[in-house]
Amino acid sequence: MPPLASAQAESLRPRGKGRPRTLETAAPSLVELLNLVRSETATTRQELERHSDLGRAVVADRLTMLGDLGLVDESELGTATGGRAPRLVRFAARRAAILVATLDQTAIGVGVADLSGNLLTEHHEAADLTEPPAHLTERLTALFRWSLDRHAASQGVWGLSLSVPGAVQSGAEGSFLTATPPIMPSWEGYPLVETLTQSFGVPIWIRSSVETMTMGELHAGAGLGQGTMLFIKVGRRIGAGIVCDGQLFRGAQGAAGLIGSLPVTSGGQSGPLDMMAGSDMIQREGIAAASDGRSAILADIQRRGGEITAIEVSQAAQVGDAASVAILATSGHLIGQVVATLANALNPDLIVLSGSIVQTNDILLAAVREAVYGASHPLVTRDLRIIRSQMGSSAGLVGAARVASEALFAPAFLKEWVMQGRPQAHPAFAEYLGHLAQTPQPHPAPPMPPASRTAKEPQA
Amino acid sequence: MTISGLGPHGERAAPPERVSLLPDDRASAKQSAWRVAVVLHTVESDWAKQQLAGMVGIFGDCGAAVIDVVDCGFSPERQVAELDRLIAHRPDAIISLPVANEEVASAHARVSAAGIKLILLDNAPTGLLPGKHYTALVSADNFGLGKIAAAGLSPHLPQGAEVGVLGFAADFFATNEREIAFIKWLQANRSDVRVHVKRFGRMDEAAKLGEALVTNHPTLAGLFVVWDTPALAVSARLAEMGHVLPLATVDLGEAAAIDMAKNGSVRCIAAQQPYQQGIAAAQTVILSLLTRPVPAWIALPGIGVTRGNVVESFQTIWRQPAPKEVLRLLGLSG
Repeated sequence: MPPLASAQAESLRPRGKGRPRTLETAAPSLVELLNLVRSETATTRQELERHSDLGRAVVADRLTMLGDLGLVDESELGTATGGRAPRLVRFAARRAAILVATLDQTAIGVGVADLSGNLLTEHHEAADLTEPPAHLTERLTALFRWSLDRHAASQGVWGLSLSVPGAVQSGAEGSFLTATPPIMPSWEGYPLVETLTQSFGVPIWIRSSVETMTMGELHAGAGLGQGTMLFIKVGRRIGAGIVCDGQLFRGAQGAAGLIGSLPVTSGGQSGPLDMMAGSDMIQREGIAAASDGRSAILADIQRRGGEITAIEVSQAAQVGDAASVAILATSGHLIGQVVATLANALNPDLIVLSGSIVQTNDILLAAVREAVYGASHPLVTRDLRIIRSQMGSSAGLVGAARVASEALFAPAFLKEWVMQGRPQAHPAFAEYLGHLAQTPQPHPAPPMPPASRTAKEPQA
Repeated sequence: MTISGLGPHGERAAPPERVSLLPDDRASAKQSAWRVAVVLHTVESDWAKQQLAGMVGIFGDCGAAVIDVVDCGFSPERQVAELDRLIAHRPDAIISLPVANEEVASAHARVSAAGIKLILLDNAPTGLLPGKHYTALVSADNFGLGKIAAAGLSPHLPQGAEVGVLGFAADFFATNEREIAFIKWLQANRSDVRVHVKRFGRMDEAAKLGEALVTNHPTLAGLFVVWDTPALAVSARLAEMGHVLPLATVDLGEAAAIDMAKNGSVRCIAAQQPYQQGIAAAQTVILSLLTRPVPAWIALPGIGVTRGNVVESFQTIWRQPAPKEVLRLLGLSG
């Protein structure tokens, strides 16, 4: 039995006769109150009493405990509605930090977030994901240490969340990873999770880039407060993130929304959606339009020494370049046909398109709208909004932070550590750390250079 | 020259040529008589003066009036107040160098929310997005500058040397990138070198921290300071203590050029091109006001300067002759 499973089994074992321990009686109410405060459902003691059905004395006692653990802050006064102004109960989001990273085919992004998932800083640099995984892990570690030193030196870290290019197999809901899931073929067998857990001593979560971006949009973007949402990422690959009942739907294997491989047909040609509508197609057609005189604007960019990528085609379309408009409209119609099928299956409140191509022009968005409205049942489109993401490339980091934040405070996980005040004290995680310490790693990272061994000094 | 860094949100860099103006652009701009304001961290430094000179010339060519140049004195509070004051004057565009991160983010967001084109220099506060909160960021390739500095200092470092890095304590995209890249280059190419980092919050702290680095690590063999003014203050303090350490920094100020020419402690400078950057920023303003598409991040490559090329580098960067003192020290003039 893996360490986590054995620990969960341990925690669920019924106790014998006698009075329950304080931990068992206090933990559920602490979890309930902390999550009411964290979600801002309740911001005063009175509201907590109302929402939790707990008595005044119990609420007061539990808030004192949460305050002592550094998880809530009651120093701020609210607005008086007659009589004394109530003390506001706030979640202490800066109590600790969450480390986040996005791994892309050609770049890595690293950030530090607070416990509510708000990004405090981010850094991006070029990277080649085909490099040996040990090198990239070493680089990630150095950047994490540098960012921590810069932004969270005193608080410490409680969780680490990664966004990776491909689908990530689902694990148990809310549970941290105790082994590295298959991420990319070239990373097969490399103990990424084990290495990072040993380096930082915190639980780790991994999701696909589409999933983290969807989470970012759901919690910090246009999806805020939405029950059912479709998030469509348009780039070299095209993928969908699905939100049902306010939760990210991952599917049986964590592979929900892989729409880029669906076959589509345009101009007598058939192929997967990625190939027929993704950024490679837009760039290729844009270069052709500049060369054969169909696009004066794209030709002008070349004349100024600029390179034509899908972004330039997208920007040209925005200022009315007819050839670029046609290219983006083709892409948008093809994407829209596939999205319409999903929309008819899910009946979402909101469809959000994301990716730099979408963000730099209105044409693709308009074409997707046309295709979805034209191919959907009237009830599906009656109140449906189809919009563009406003979060840019930061959505992946923000979403990764939310993945860790939600997992850390998921009731089943939280009740196991809340009395100790830090997730590292979760019995299953403590057991996992102990297990890692005794197990030699099959592929250890190469020795760090002396610069990285200097105690208490940032490295990057 | 290639750009080695990525933008604040992971954007790929566009070269400054991407925002060059054509005669038609200038003619169209002249008809509009736009009003532009500039908000800088300081107007005292050589870097700021050259940046302004580059901008103002282009705006003049395009018939745009520079209605205000604000010196924030590195103060976030002052920058917030000045931005709010400028919003009330309704210029067509504001070029601003955000002096901090969180503290100045919402004031910058208010500029674009008021319908004023906002072009950022050197720094994009976390949470502000291109296309939504600002039009474009124009900066040096700061990651590249850090790499140039490390590569330039490396030949002066013996095997197993200890190196000090004096970074900037404020959360600032440009100086963060320089520091990260400097250390990364050493880790990749000089894994024998041990790095010690300290960060100064105010200019007058730099010399004190430099002194502390040398006191705590007496075998320190070299130093990287993230820009030239504090670097020279550190160099002067160390000289008083009887230490002459090989030093690398960013920006070819006049004093740094003289120090380099007289074989002082400054051995390598990773130079920005502030005049060219000013031109690129002004051109980005004009193109965006003409509703032409502009890239989210325009980056200018750095120039590696040593004693051997300090004269021509000075001319390239500042568009003026090298100081007489530099020419005299190098035996190029009486």
